Amino acid sequence: MKVTVHLHTILQRQTPEGLQRQLEVMLLSGSTLADLIEDLGIEMPLEGMLLVVNGRTAPSSHILNESDQVHLMPAISGG
Amino acid sequence: MQIWRVNTREQTLTREPVPESWEHLGGRGLLARIMVDELPPTCDPLGPSNKLIFAPGLLTGHRLSSCDRLSVGGKSPLTGGVKESNAGGRTGLHMATLGMKALILEERPLQPGWWVLHLSQDGARFDPADDLAGLGVYAVAPKLLARYGDKCAISLIGPGGEMKLTGAGIQNIDKDMTPSRINARGGLGAVMGSKGIKAIVFDMTGCDKPAIADPPAWKAAQKAYNKALMGHPQTQSYADYGTAAMTRMTNAFGAIPTRGFSAGQFEGADKISGEAMRELLLLRGGASETTHACMAGCTIRCSNIFGGADGEEIVSPVEYETIGLMGSNLGIDSLDAIARLNWEVNDLGLDSIETGAALGVAAQAGLLDFGDGERALELVREIRSGSALGRALGNGAAMIGRLYGVERVPVVKGQAISAYDPRAIKGTGVTYATTPQGADHTTGLTIRAKVDHLDPQGQVEVSRNAQMSMAGYDTLGACVFAGFGFAAAPETIRDLLNAKYGWEVSDNILQELGRETIRLEREFNRMAGFTAVDDRLPEWMTREPLPPHNAVFDVPNAELDEIWG
Repeated sequence: MKVTVHLHTILQRQTPEGLQRQLEVMLLSGSTLADLIEDLGIEMPLEGMLLVVNGRTAPSSHILNESDQVHLMPAISGG
Repeated sequence: MQIWRVNTREQTLTREPVPESWEHLGGRGLLARIMVDELPPTCDPLGPSNKLIFAPGLLTGHRLSSCDRLSVGGKSPLTGGVKESNAGGRTGLHMATLGMKALILEERPLQPGWWVLHLSQDGARFDPADDLAGLGVYAVAPKLLARYGDKCAISLIGPGGEMKLTGAGIQNIDKDMTPSRINARGGLGAVMGSKGIKAIVFDMTGCDKPAIADPPAWKAAQKAYNKALMGHPQTQSYADYGTAAMTRMTNAFGAIPTRGFSAGQFEGADKISGEAMRELLLLRGGASETTHACMAGCTIRCSNIFGGADGEEIVSPVEYETIGLMGSNLGIDSLDAIARLNWEVNDLGLDSIETGAALGVAAQAGLLDFGDGERALELVREIRSGSALGRALGNGAAMIGRLYGVERVPVVKGQAISAYDPRAIKGTGVTYATTPQGADHTTGLTIRAKVDHLDPQGQVEVSRNAQMSMAGYDTLGACVFAGFGFAAAPETIRDLLNAKYGWEVSDNILQELGRETIRLEREFNRMAGFTAVDDRLPEWMTREPLPPHNAVFDVPNAELDEIWG
């Protein structure tokens, strides 16, 4: 299945083409958010991140579905 | 430390010992204590009985990273209730070094006219300032620095405060002399204007550093705090992206104010995001800076300088709340347009949240089209002209709503909601409704909590915890972002206070200070006539669904009323 991943602030990727903040990721059916984060090789500790699927906060054990919109954000606050 | 009491009618200063019951408080908590003790709660906020109070936090004065903040307060002409508004810049440091526990401005002059209040260890002096009347803060600050030297701190008002507009704030210069660190909310600039004070100059020349009871213990606690702060993974995110990082975050949650709070996602959000701003400023170079400190000694440096395509500075800083209220809320997807609006409202000495919300209401009334940045700028300039429409806009969202009969007005206790729609971040909605301050995210933002923000269950507890912590930090003089360091090493709050004052406070001091502060603020509001009816979001937010989640605010009123037991 395919999900769209939105990377926020310091989680963006520096690639030869420039900064990448949105990517399509292929996952095995039944994959969780934790699986996705491991596949992406993101090093930020889970407790320091907010995980959001289709606009709602989700735990790392959340099982993803086809076409999900996933946002991975450093857990900041303020303004 | 002493209480400096200035009578603006007699132009006199008295320096008094600190009453015992005020000693353990600073910043926001001290303001609330003084208001309960001294202010007639039903006084006219712009009359002679109101007082304008400045108080540095308990930890302010030592260049401790992110902990030199200033609280300013009094009875709010916008909400009619208790008001504390918080800012960085250099005023807090100078006040603490001058030995001011608090500065209390009383009364008002009998004759019209403008004054600069100059405060130093020699006392107070009132210098005529009629030549500065009508000028914006960006014109006045350099004149004052030329007149008084660049070693001082300055708090000043713009034309908005002079016109006593309820959207007016008080500006402070930062370490680079820019007057854009703003005690913005609740109309405190109008209170200063009502007392005939255009600017206050704080000159700490000749003063010793503020005392520390146990210097080795302070040093050890400071080291532990700095280590926790610098080791926190979010500190780098703030340095690189600042508060503008919230743009994509709130958009992802469906909570970014869009076109007059009619939607929670904005199609142009990526263009006005912190990520886009950083790329733009790095590309432009020149005066632009993506990382900038508003206070000496700050290691987070979340601020920025926004330069134009020509390399010249447009404004510093551009923060998320302004992006939300003057960008997406107005359907504007251009950072340059937002920056120009930001400069204009700063120069007028107005709160960009209140003014942005007022423009959003004005758009619903047909005064501008959403997305029309030029027209928005014209309307802000209308405020400077002093026309009836301009003054109405400068008095904020509620005033414009009443004037044009608009229903969708985003205010609580008359004060504009900031850039988190409470229907999609319901814990923050609880904060907006129940904080004694009127709608204000800085009193308890909950977006970082790992909860389902759309579920009404449990939000009261999330909000209560956030409100207590924030009231505690505001009393310490700590920036909200210092909270990341303090959260990782909570014992350092206890250790810093004990080292500075020789106290023996407990591990729970942050919550104790927060609880006491909110208790006092609620007491003032109760005496001023506030009831549970005032602790509500606008009714339309409980009825009108917010796309994309089609959420309404549905935390039950009974739960709101029980938040403080």
